Amino acid sequence: MGDSYLDLLMAQQEEAPTEEIAAEGGGGIWVVADISDGAVAPVTLEALNAARALADALGAYVYGVLLGEGVADLAQTLYQAGADAVRVASLTADDTSLAAFVLEPYLRVLSDLFEAEQPEVVVFGATRAGGQLAARLAQAFGGGLIEHVVAVSLDEATRTVQASVPIYGGEYFEIVACPEARPQFLTIEPGAFPAPFLDTYRTGEPALLEVAPVEPRVRLAGEAEGFEPPAVPLAQAPVIVAAGRQAGDFELVRQLAHALGAQVAGDRGARDAGWIEAGQVIDVRGVEVAPQVYVAVGVRGDTFHNAAIEGAEFIAAIHPDANAPIFQVADLCIEADPKDVLPALIEALG
Amino acid sequence: MDFAFSTEHRALRRLIREFAENEVEPLAAEIDREGRVPFETLGKLGQIGLLGVCFPQEYGGMGAGEIGYCILMEELGRVCTSTATTVGAHIGIGAMSIYLDGNEEQKRKYLTPLARGEKIGAFVLTEANAGSDAAAIRTRAVREGDSYILDGTKTFNTNGSFADIVTVLAVTDPTLGARGGITAFIVESDMPGFQVGTHENKMGIRGSSTAELIFEEVRVPQENVLGNVGEGFVSFMKTLDLGRLTLGAACLGGAQAALDWSVRWARTRRQFGEELAHKQSVQWMIADMATQVEALRSLVYRVAWMVDTGQPFTQMAAMCKLYGSEVASRAIDVALQIHGGLGLSRDFLIERFFRDARIAEIFEGTNEIQRIVIANNIFRRHGVRIRP
Amino acid sequence: MKIVVILGRVLDPAGIVVNRRRGRIFVNREEYVMQPADACALEAALQIKDGSDAEVIALPRGLLPDDDDVLRQALSVGADRAVNFVGRIGNPPYGDGVMARVLAAAIERLGETDLILTGATTLDTGQGQLGPRLAGVLGWPQVVDAWAVRVAGDHVETVCHIPPPLRGGLGGGNPYTILEVDLSAVVTVHPGALKLRYPDGARLINVYRDEKAVEAWVVTDLVSEEALQPLLEKRGRDFPPERERSVRLEGAPQEVVQVLASELRKRVG
Repeated sequence: MGDSYLDLLMAQQEEAPTEEIAAEGGGGIWVVADISDGAVAPVTLEALNAARALADALGAYVYGVLLGEGVADLAQTLYQAGADAVRVASLTADDTSLAAFVLEPYLRVLSDLFEAEQPEVVVFGATRAGGQLAARLAQAFGGGLIEHVVAVSLDEATRTVQASVPIYGGEYFEIVACPEARPQFLTIEPGAFPAPFLDTYRTGEPALLEVAPVEPRVRLAGEAEGFEPPAVPLAQAPVIVAAGRQAGDFELVRQLAHALGAQVAGDRGARDAGWIEAGQVIDVRGVEVAPQVYVAVGVRGDTFHNAAIEGAEFIAAIHPDANAPIFQVADLCIEADPKDVLPALIEALG
Repeated sequence: MDFAFSTEHRALRRLIREFAENEVEPLAAEIDREGRVPFETLGKLGQIGLLGVCFPQEYGGMGAGEIGYCILMEELGRVCTSTATTVGAHIGIGAMSIYLDGNEEQKRKYLTPLARGEKIGAFVLTEANAGSDAAAIRTRAVREGDSYILDGTKTFNTNGSFADIVTVLAVTDPTLGARGGITAFIVESDMPGFQVGTHENKMGIRGSSTAELIFEEVRVPQENVLGNVGEGFVSFMKTLDLGRLTLGAACLGGAQAALDWSVRWARTRRQFGEELAHKQSVQWMIADMATQVEALRSLVYRVAWMVDTGQPFTQMAAMCKLYGSEVASRAIDVALQIHGGLGLSRDFLIERFFRDARIAEIFEGTNEIQRIVIANNIFRRHGVRIRP
Repeated sequence: MKIVVILGRVLDPAGIVVNRRRGRIFVNREEYVMQPADACALEAALQIKDGSDAEVIALPRGLLPDDDDVLRQALSVGADRAVNFVGRIGNPPYGDGVMARVLAAAIERLGETDLILTGATTLDTGQGQLGPRLAGVLGWPQVVDAWAVRVAGDHVETVCHIPPPLRGGLGGGNPYTILEVDLSAVVTVHPGALKLRYPDGARLINVYRDEKAVEAWVVTDLVSEEALQPLLEKRGRDFPPERERSVRLEGAPQEVVQVLASELRKRVG
């Protein structure tokens, strides 16, 4: 028998869109892909998901653009994530420095492309590459650019995207739109939009773009050996893992901190146990902190400790005692022995 | 009446607050614990020009006036009384005495490096037998050729143990007493015979230096007579008058800190199912504290304005010191009560502020003296000269 | 050497309280501070200027009608000149598309500029497009989000954080990478990259007392009225859900760990 009936059915329904769509030269939601570690970055898939929703409401198509060296193979991922058509610009170079993002050559490809295609909306990931491309293209095309978008809705009457921008890191959001200028440019915040379901039956034939040789103007001159960024004091650390007397194995706490890129601290109990120094004690009588993330491992959480983490935006606590006062202030509470939780948690964080 | 600070004073306050939070506050507990003067802080203050905040720019100062100086003392007093004391002794009485009474030559030679923070100053008056009764000093200054030989011992001196330039009061004519018999001198600390004696082991302001100074036949050239011979007492009193205002400003800072920390604890600490802020007794404590702080603030900056606009200020400056020291003492006492057991912890700042506050009612003229000054001024305007 | 620094102001978030339940923002203390990333850009410019005859000129990131305080701060701390713009541009702080044109015109008027420094991102809106937009209008190369900036003759050396997988052929484990670009260039600086210097006190007093310390240029002298039309508009506000505390994670240990790991990953980035 060969292919199953289902395979045949799926193959019939999902035909690769042809060049015809592009030949009309009108509109569409375009997503410029970010490449990370030789694969399509998660933010690009999230962008395609968002683009799909916008496109369906607008009655438009979703286009993906891949730029880089040896990226043609990645086109299928874009189709699977919802792209109707994909353009690929394979930049070849003699030296490997072009395998990484370089502004001017990519800019040239995208300028020519968007000049021809006249997109309605262009979406980038809010990454080092995406942000720069978006800003330069927006300026060149006289378009408006809204960065670090975490949600979108559509003003259907004017076909305008209304984008939510986090203010002061997410204290609240402002909804911003570009009512007239076209294309509308957006960069989306990684992790803000849900990842799409990858439909492996969706395939397509990407179109290859001509690439004009353009000299990049920024040169990669090597690693900055011995460069140390300014030390961040504990009071200003953005992520902190704190150990308390019930933490058990302090080495696990250290590993968790490493996995999160966090600074290590603790309560008075940890100091008594000899695990931390006086300058690492989180207490009104010690250091007061206001991190974005505070993980309390085996910290009982008395008033003096809890007052010192008043400013923390998100507190996760692991403690074996259900009545530990830390659970009254923590956002997420896990009633367990840290020794049972930490190894799996460290592994899950990768 | 415009009660707003000028833009330059607002900008100055912002600068000093940032400095106080980044440079002074982190060291406050340590210098108290170790009983050491934060020389590194003095160096940084000097670099910015803050050690000459009120002096004219032509003498190396910042030109921000008394208002600027009060802002400095308030912001320093808010985080570290010891540092405020050290800075105040340098600017407000040490360098100030030269600014008020020095001739051009002395201002160029001594005031300028003090204003620039290149040298540190001190004001040397008190002796074992002469505290409030300042005229009872016994340090002698005997004329010998074109110099004076100074001999005597001074006590409880702030900054004298490490200062480069000190202004000293000594008796030139024992028969004349305060009027005509006392002269002020500028002494450089490397002049032979100038010695630092015992350091005081104090309850509070342990991050400032209080020491005995011994003048053993120190030869001081006559060019270093500050003001006129025999008029030293009167000129020193002028300097002390001005110092009272800025001590009031430092007390304002301390009281504000006590208030801020009390409010913070009252809204954090929960007992009997609710925050302390919901207890009326605590509310009244906070309300009283806040009212006194605002009243003190109005008083201090009004008097600073009076000084900067050339109006007489002696009585009002004494009020600043009197009221400021009592408001600060009361505020930190209440703050300690609000903090309960935590207030006693040496790992927390309340007990340090508590120990630091007490001296304010005593030095720079005890509050009893301040009351006498105020009453004297009031009655004199009504034609009554109080019998001393 | 002529360095232009572009500085903006932002409302100090410490003075704001957000009530998520009522969807309201209460401004308890309205105080403006310099954008932290811009302050680092200014410090970078001053470090380049230290010990050289470079000139540092401060321009505003957006219109600052009556309040040129950030420009005065720049002068206090060592900038040689400051220019404020007078006029109307709709809808700050989303006016970068328009400001880029105004700034480019101003920089042409200043003449012979070698280096433009500004912050890589704004504290409130998180927008980093101004620097690149300006580079685009001027036709200059750009380096974004630099941790260090050093001038070496006719080019600039910057240190940027680029993880090795994104660096192409350049292997190694240290993400801090040297990127070089020829002058004239635009470089944006990472917030918190540099320790900021304090102003000179006397200079500060004099700058704030001198009404004429900051020059004023009219925007309509620099660009046309059409160019000043805003591209973006604000359409409202939204608030995050109320903070829910004491949420117990129940279930099989593996599930619990996965939920916690995913929450942490989401927030730590």
